Amino acid sequence: MTSSRTRNAAGSQAWLGLMIAIAAFAATIFLWSEAQADTLDPATPEGMVRLSEVNEGALLLKTVEAGVYVPAPLVATDIALDISGPVVRATITQRFENPSEAWVEGTYVFPMPEDAGVDRLRMQIGERFIEGEIHERQQARQIYERARAAGQRASLLEQERPNMFTTSVANIGPGETIIVQIEYQDVARLRDGTFEVRAPLAITPRYIPQDVGYQLASTGSISRSSVPDAHRITPPIMHPDSEPGEGLRLPVTIRANLDAGFELGPVASRFHATYVEHTAPGQATVRLADGPIPADRDFVLTWRPANETAPSAALFTETVGDETYLLAQILPPAQLGADTPRRPRETIFVIDNSGSMAGESMRQAREALIFALERLEPTDRFNVIRFDNTMEQVFPDAVDASAVNLATAIGFVRRLDAEGGTEMLPALVAALNDSRPDETGRVRQVVFLTDGAIGNEQQLFEAIDVGLGRSRLFPVGIGSAPNTYFMSRAARAGRGTFTHIGQISDVAEVMEKLFTALERPVMTELDALFPRDALAEIWPAPLPDLYYGEPVVMTARLQSTEGVMLVEGELAGETWREQLSLANTRPASGIATLFGRNRIRSIEETRFQGAYQDTIDAGVLRTALEFSLVSRLTSLVAVDVTPARPVADPLVQRDIPVMAPDGWDLEAVSDDRIDPVQHAALDTALIDQLRPGRDPNAQAVDENGVPLPATATPREMMMWLGALMMLIALFWLIANRERRLW
Amino acid sequence: MVSAQKRAHPKAGRMAATLAAICLLLAGGFVFGQGAYLTAKAEIAQVLLAKAWTRAQDGETAPTPWPWADTWPVARLSVPSLGERAIVLAEGGGEALAFGPAHLAVSPAPGDAGTSIIAAHRDTHFAFLRDVEPGDEVIVERADGERIAFRVTHTQIVHAERSGIQPAGGPARLALVTCWPFGSLTPGPLRYVVWAEKIMTDHPDAGFELALNSGTG
Repeated sequence: MTSSRTRNAAGSQAWLGLMIAIAAFAATIFLWSEAQADTLDPATPEGMVRLSEVNEGALLLKTVEAGVYVPAPLVATDIALDISGPVVRATITQRFENPSEAWVEGTYVFPMPEDAGVDRLRMQIGERFIEGEIHERQQARQIYERARAAGQRASLLEQERPNMFTTSVANIGPGETIIVQIEYQDVARLRDGTFEVRAPLAITPRYIPQDVGYQLASTGSISRSSVPDAHRITPPIMHPDSEPGEGLRLPVTIRANLDAGFELGPVASRFHATYVEHTAPGQATVRLADGPIPADRDFVLTWRPANETAPSAALFTETVGDETYLLAQILPPAQLGADTPRRPRETIFVIDNSGSMAGESMRQAREALIFALERLEPTDRFNVIRFDNTMEQVFPDAVDASAVNLATAIGFVRRLDAEGGTEMLPALVAALNDSRPDETGRVRQVVFLTDGAIGNEQQLFEAIDVGLGRSRLFPVGIGSAPNTYFMSRAARAGRGTFTHIGQISDVAEVMEKLFTALERPVMTELDALFPRDALAEIWPAPLPDLYYGEPVVMTARLQSTEGVMLVEGELAGETWREQLSLANTRPASGIATLFGRNRIRSIEETRFQGAYQDTIDAGVLRTALEFSLVSRLTSLVAVDVTPARPVADPLVQRDIPVMAPDGWDLEAVSDDRIDPVQHAALDTALIDQLRPGRDPNAQAVDENGVPLPATATPREMMMWLGALMMLIALFWLIANRERRLW
Repeated sequence: MVSAQKRAHPKAGRMAATLAAICLLLAGGFVFGQGAYLTAKAEIAQVLLAKAWTRAQDGETAPTPWPWADTWPVARLSVPSLGERAIVLAEGGGEALAFGPAHLAVSPAPGDAGTSIIAAHRDTHFAFLRDVEPGDEVIVERADGERIAFRVTHTQIVHAERSGIQPAGGPARLALVTCWPFGSLTPGPLRYVVWAEKIMTDHPDAGFELALNSGTG
């Protein structure tokens, strides 16, 4: 009897206990979710979400209201490269996907090869294609804005820098996808027998110099005299930690059809894994081996001829209407001037140790500089200058490359850390400052290692033009996405050549090549001679000096294709001459575009020779409109005539954040809080919601006053409840145990 | 048969009871742990924030106390008469309140014209608000080096959705906000607001300590 009562009591106790445990567990879950949500406030504005409402890998942009986000459009990019000889026709397809419930305008800043001839924009909506038209920049913007306000789908392609463009797409409906196709013409770079084509994917964030202090522009509110368009060239950057863990936010696919025109040797991508299929002699297709890649590192494809005795000259022509355009690429023989004795040199090394260089880039730069210092000979003179937002010279003036001096410099370089802003101008001026301008027995070379993460290119070009003297400037691009526009134009203005290091393992090889070029004599006085009345125009004019391994590249407009052209140049006191038959050229498309692009570039560069801005603008505009090219003064705009968005529905503007380039250390960039920012919308109430402004007047505060956040945690209650539960459980366990003892 | 059944039953019952007790123990531990975690977060964060605060004073903009933080210190608040101090965070994605008092982004910076709103949990960082009385001094040090003294004018209980606090305009005032009533274990819609008005601004090197002492004395 006793035992049975005990048993029953024990049984009901067990049930009671189980129920308490379940209840406690339920309470725990409830309290836990409460604790998670203890700062939520009930009203979510339209078109915005809370983190708890997101169930897929969407990119979210912060808004002024704590805890409220807006989903940003996603952009997928496909790049198709059609390469014929050195002529590249590229098609960039951007898919703008709008994951949100609102009508959206997407703005995407993306990189281009420097001075690419962008001549076509198409917008695809469903099955229809809408062709873009070239207009003056202001006019194109007006057309676009009118269409945007009228609810029509429209896209606008603008040039921010010759290597940085912006696509704007208006009125992307909820859940809708709009495809924008951009085409451009480019020439593969020939260097030391290797052709190289670069499809830039990442933008190195630009540093905007300021009068006081410094900062990496990100908030869109910066207006500085040195960079008046700062807000346009500084898209928001997504912190790598914020990128979605699975899948890519900005996926890129790339394929290339290569028709080299000669028997192909190795075809390779420098930084990405690719499949290369040799379809016929001289032809190959290239595609990515591991599927889409992130937009954080430039894609570089290289190829070489199978046998080194391949023809060193290539001539291509295209006839448009009654005009014939010529592209010539002629490589002087490699042995030319090889036996010239090395002249003593004065080399000034400038190394950028600003915050943008932190990480992999700084290691590359340090390695490259130490490699270069070790290459110096005792008869040379040198100096090392480092700069971030401050600047420092190792020696007050260039010194002999003695063992002691070199050791001092190498020690200095090894200790360099990347931090601070990028005030390049003072360092450049110091490097060009020549204390012995009349010393003709020595060559003076400035080797400039940087990622070019600056926005004040114009000021720097002017400084180079004014201060160059007998010095020659050799920019060395560092990192996964250097500003190649700055580098190559600085090299042209500085009458040197531009070298690019993409990864640490390339340092020795690339620097070796640069040093060969520095040590070999330079080909000067280059000229191209045509039969009487055959030539109408040639660009660039005059032809730039050639360094070892570089080809002569020129474009011309011809009136006849009869006779021969003669290319000649001076090298170490000898004259080099090469004759080419104009009748013996290969037809190719896109040569006219390349000619137009070269003319624009050359006209832009006359600025440094003192041409008037009005004259430059007129020339650029005329050329851009004639060849239908996007330029500083012209844009392509495509408008769908059918309205899509009911005008009553608001339109939200979103800047699509770019990826941080691979190897970039955002933490090292001072003032690096790059919150995704969005500005401008048609609905003013929504603008106020979206703008993360400090101005209290901009906030929508009604007569109810500011809604206050929840300021209670269930902390104490949970601790009390938890303690109580544990106490009961312990009590019970002990009681059970004691009963067993009885 | 019967005896076997009788023997089996109490054993199963005891086992179930033990199991239930262990479940309860674990659940209790979990609940307690959650509470303790919130406490630890609030306490430890203030230590980490102290470091980030010195970085903020050194001129760094938005120094996040830990790399993944979405908030950063903007000011230090102290009530000398109670010996209380806390580092105030920028109100970011809503997480800030777990770590310290948060300055609401819709309101101006403390000391600027208008009403600056700083909110914190009633059971941790702003538990001391219940002891604050009109006439007490509240000192706010900003990252830019300015130290602003406020004097508490009155306290108020408002509804969270209809606070009536207008951040824009008017003299520089401070509204310290926490949940009401104190000591309650469940969240509610009421908020306790401590109002203070600016009495002086000074830089640390301009003999401000003196003014501070006279105020508390």
